Amino acid sequence: MRFHPFLLTASAAAVTLLAGISTATAAGPFADRWAQRRAQETAWHGAYQNLGYGQPLAVVVPPTAHLRQTYSWGVSQNTNHSIYHQFGRNYPGSGFAPAAGFYHTPAWPSHTDQFGSYYVRGPW
Amino acid sequence: MRFQLGLAAAAALFVGSAGLASAQGAGGYGASGYGGGEYIVDAQVISDEVVGESVGEAVAGSNNVGVAGRAYGRPDLFYNYYTQGNRNRVHAQMYLAPRPVPPNVGHTFTTYQPFMPHEMLYKHTDRYHNYYDGGRGMNRTKARYYYPPVRQAASNFYWNMLRIPR
Repeated sequence: MRFHPFLLTASAAAVTLLAGISTATAAGPFADRWAQRRAQETAWHGAYQNLGYGQPLAVVVPPTAHLRQTYSWGVSQNTNHSIYHQFGRNYPGSGFAPAAGFYHTPAWPSHTDQFGSYYVRGPW
Repeated sequence: MRFQLGLAAAAALFVGSAGLASAQGAGGYGASGYGGGEYIVDAQVISDEVVGESVGEAVAGSNNVGVAGRAYGRPDLFYNYYTQGNRNRVHAQMYLAPRPVPPNVGHTFTTYQPFMPHEMLYKHTDRYHNYYDGGRGMNRTKARYYYPPVRQAASNFYWNMLRIPR
């Protein structure tokens, strides 16, 4: 798996930052329900695949993490998003076959989502 | 090896002195002439196959002679975690192989739950139940996960006091 070194350090810093933030404000049951409902309506992955894995790669973050930061070129392209998805016990059934149709990381990436690594919170 | 030998001798003694009821303790699974998964309780043969492979079917075995079977806990040795939701085009498991490899290669297999890496992600307390002896015994383990206080204090001191703000 090839990570861009800067992105790796950036994501690691983001994870530690998120963990640091979230210990101050632990998620309550309301936030958990909200996130669970939103996770049913959205996908945990974006449109890109991790090139070393061949699929979108779920990066495990602490379950107390709330936000992820994306970086991109251009004005107003650095955005904050909530991390709704969380690993759970329920077996999803199908869908483990290598999924086609995910974009490759472009030769000149312009957005952190294009690396195909997406945060998913670990279980409680 | 010596320990095993001593254990076998003790078991043999136990059978010889106590008779039928002790065959359960010594025999375990089918060591006393019965099929696998059967043992003797109160001189009646009942089946041990009550709890299914993790599905939890409450059906007694075929050799049941009028005694209600007991449900023994027999959880999976390891169970993975998966992404949830209906909108996912592809699902993900939490425990892959040590590094992400194609899904048909394998995944990590952690058999002791308190040491699973995802428990180290945040401060909390958990209690684990572990079955042994085919589900007839259970022990409890309470684990507390916390930040190492000295390192955390040093880190706080650095980030709050020493670090040059920029």
